[in-house]
Amino acid sequence: MANQKLDLLQGTLDVMVLQTLHAIGPLHGYGIARRIEQISGNQVLLNQGTIYASLVRLQQRGWIAAEWGASDNNRKAKFYSITRNGRKQLAADAAHWHRLADVMGRMLAMSPGGETR
Amino acid sequence: MRTLVAHITAFFRKRELDRDLDQELAVHLDLAIEDNIRRGLSPEDARREALVRFGGVEAAKEHHRDARGLPWLDSLLQDVRYALRTLRRDAAFTTVALLILALGIGANTAVFSLGNVFLFRPLPVKDADRLTVVAVQRKADSDPDQVSYPDYLDYRAHSSAIFTGMTGYDISIVGLGYRGHADRLIMSYVPSNFFSMLGIRPALGRLINPGEGDAPKTGPVVVLGHSYWEKRFGGDPNVIGRTASLDGTAVTVIGVVPKEFLGPYNLVEMDGYAPIGMLGFGSNPDFFTSRADHEMRVLATLKPGVSIPRAQAALNVIGQRLAQEYPHADQGQRVRVFSEPKARPEPAAADAKFLVASVFLLMVGLVLVVACLNVANLLLARAAAREKEFAIRAAIGAGRGRLLRQLLTESMLLALAGGVGGAILGNSVGYLLNGLRPLGDLPLRLAFVFDWRVFTYVAGTALLAGILAGLAPALRVSRTDLNPALREGGRGLIGESGRHWLRNGLVIAQVAGSLILLVAAGLFTRSLTRAESIDLGFDPHNVLNVSLDPGLQGYTQPRAEALCRELLRRTQALPGVQSASLAFSIPLGYYDNGAPVYAEAQAPSPSHQVPGASLNAVSPDYFTTLRIRILEGRAFTDADTATSGPVAIVNQTMAERLWPHQDAVGQRFSYKAAAGPFVTVVGVVHDAKVTSLLDAPGMYFYLPQTQDYHSTHVLQVRTAVPPESLAPAVEGLLRQLDPNLPVYEVMSMDKSLQGANGFFLFKVGASFAGTLGVLGLLLAVVGVYGVVSYSASRRRHELGIRMALGARRVTIFRLVIRQAVLLVGFGIALGLVAALGVSRLLASLLVDVSASDPVTFVGVSAMLMAAALLACFIPAHRAARVEPMAALRDQ
Repeated sequence: MANQKLDLLQGTLDVMVLQTLHAIGPLHGYGIARRIEQISGNQVLLNQGTIYASLVRLQQRGWIAAEWGASDNNRKAKFYSITRNGRKQLAADAAHWHRLADVMGRMLAMSPGGETR
Repeated sequence: MRTLVAHITAFFRKRELDRDLDQELAVHLDLAIEDNIRRGLSPEDARREALVRFGGVEAAKEHHRDARGLPWLDSLLQDVRYALRTLRRDAAFTTVALLILALGIGANTAVFSLGNVFLFRPLPVKDADRLTVVAVQRKADSDPDQVSYPDYLDYRAHSSAIFTGMTGYDISIVGLGYRGHADRLIMSYVPSNFFSMLGIRPALGRLINPGEGDAPKTGPVVVLGHSYWEKRFGGDPNVIGRTASLDGTAVTVIGVVPKEFLGPYNLVEMDGYAPIGMLGFGSNPDFFTSRADHEMRVLATLKPGVSIPRAQAALNVIGQRLAQEYPHADQGQRVRVFSEPKARPEPAAADAKFLVASVFLLMVGLVLVVACLNVANLLLARAAAREKEFAIRAAIGAGRGRLLRQLLTESMLLALAGGVGGAILGNSVGYLLNGLRPLGDLPLRLAFVFDWRVFTYVAGTALLAGILAGLAPALRVSRTDLNPALREGGRGLIGESGRHWLRNGLVIAQVAGSLILLVAAGLFTRSLTRAESIDLGFDPHNVLNVSLDPGLQGYTQPRAEALCRELLRRTQALPGVQSASLAFSIPLGYYDNGAPVYAEAQAPSPSHQVPGASLNAVSPDYFTTLRIRILEGRAFTDADTATSGPVAIVNQTMAERLWPHQDAVGQRFSYKAAAGPFVTVVGVVHDAKVTSLLDAPGMYFYLPQTQDYHSTHVLQVRTAVPPESLAPAVEGLLRQLDPNLPVYEVMSMDKSLQGANGFFLFKVGASFAGTLGVLGLLLAVVGVYGVVSYSASRRRHELGIRMALGARRVTIFRLVIRQAVLLVGFGIALGLVAALGVSRLLASLLVDVSASDPVTFVGVSAMLMAAALLACFIPAHRAARVEPMAALRDQ
């Protein structure tokens, strides 16, 4: 049970990170975490620490790249950006999620009589 | 792929990546705190809020490491390091366990290496996987044997549809003289296609050319074996082109075979190779024409895609045609084809070998199992002592899987180290075997190689041992509820009474396994004793053998005969000598002579094969010296000379078979051809076991040396004193007669009976089984001692109470011993039942001993029980000497 939950979260988090970097451009880890919280309307209660496991995984797969740079307040921070492979992966993942959401929406719209509302 | 590389890289750049991560996380928290302060929180609240949102810095780091690196390898390395540390700390345990495993694995390695030589390892020749041996059974029920040269030529000429090539070799012991010094060599006479078919390239010079020496009395050349070239000529390349003398014929040394090619025969390395035509100069000119003379060991390479059964079918057709064409020699003969490894060392072994191999593998397998049970028990005892450690580890978060892995890592490490020890041990057994000399002076040469087969076997055995020994204890520990262990302050649960069954079961299984080994050892030993007490029909005690071959020094027949007469005369005059005689071969030696026999006036019916007999050429006093009883007629005398009428003495079997219900003396037979020349039987002697220890005696006859000359002689001396003590005197006589004459195989007849056709195989079998039996006994004793002394120490408290309540020391002593007797008794009972089943497998390998021989079964059971009780004496004694107060205070 615990494993299943983790898997789902993991996969979801990876897509969120890719999408964030795709939409906003290079960000550091804190920035990514904050942006995900904001976009989700704070509905995702994220342990911000878990984002770093996701970042290293995406990096090792070659979907994002990392570079040390200066933050807004001139602190040295690691900035992540999406790569070309990352964009391809994101497109594939997005299509998957859209289909899944579509199917789930229709399934849940089914009324007890069996007709679609 | 790329991801894997990234993971591996990350694994090795751990420190750098960790530093990066620390910095990254620190920045993250700083940024969060700043944000929070901007939102109006106090610095403390801002910090706390940031940490809460982050959620466990250490956990995040751990996740990060798991995601980027190779977490399983990390924990494996951790396990290995930890296991090494604990094993080193517990040096006594580790040493004992390692020793036990090394012995178990070593025994397996040795047997498998031997099996590798005889069963698996291909010859280092071309197309070895398609190489076959062709042999014939002279009768339907006889062993497959060599092929006659004319038959070989016919098979070769008509089998081109199934074989790409056929060749052969005739092994012979020859003399090779070089610069006034002659050596005895083991030589293969080969057709000229021998080396080309086997794809052998010369290491030096050239090999035999196509067609060279295929015709009788041609091809005066010799190719040297690599070891012999190094030993005799010091590896001198200039020996090529030199002239040597091969059994008195001048030959040119033309080349040396490569080092890895020991020859086609599995037991000895060939010293040299000569063209088959050179046999024409030898003592058996019939070799090239006689179909009754089976000398050729035939090798053939299958065409790609041709199976053994198909080759067999094709050979059957050729065989039938030969039987029709040559009914006298080939009728009833059956041709067989074997894959080459199957026919090692002799095609006769093909059928029995797998039984022997599986019996031995089974026995060493059992040794390994017993060794593993033993180590399992030791591990279990150790696990009980380490219960607290495991409880603590579990309490701080080690999962059950992790504990299991940790324990298995320990047993695996032990097993792998044991495997290394075992491989070394097993290999040295091979080198020991290579020193044995079952063929007289000729050393056994087995091509032991630590090749991938042996390596795979050892590695597999070690892994198996690791799992076998480690799994039960590991499962046991990881399953235990560890809370009570922590609470109870040291007195743990594993091994608590009522939970003894696992350890007790292991000991019972161990004792049972050891008993099976001991039974096998006992049966083989009894078998040897029986074999040694077989009535040989001659008296081997107090006989000295001395071999000489005047032909090696170029003696002509008349000169050699003069030398031998003088030698006999002077030997008989030596003090301590009762009689002396000369013979061509000795009983149960490693060479022999055979011939077809034709009784006069008994035209062999066309459907019957000519019977074969073995023969020996002897001097008049032979029967006196060996004490072979003359039943009828007379022995040879000095009056039987080259010019007097040809005579023979036959054994009982031959007399009865050729002339049933008649007086054999006065009859005539021929060992050359149906039309004669004939020899007259002048005597009948008792059937002595001269060719085979176990088989019923076959037809055998003796000729006077004056009428059947061979250059090879064995002087046999019956002595009134220990035979070896006369050896220097006899050798001195020979030196007086001719200082250059090489003398060899100077040994007592008793000792020569230990050779390949004598007791060698029984000895090897008995000492092998005996070694395993002793090993089994040792392991059983260690196991019983371990479990009894352990449980006695766990019961110290209880025994203390018993004594405090008035139990006497004798009672305590008896209590401990009783436990041991019960365990061993169960083990023996179980082992006896199993051994009864297993020993049936051995039945066909035993001589004159029943597979359920009660003496053996009862004897080894008693021995095992006695040894086990002796082992328990110490812990029982110690338990009985416990001071009750001390034992009670301990808790």
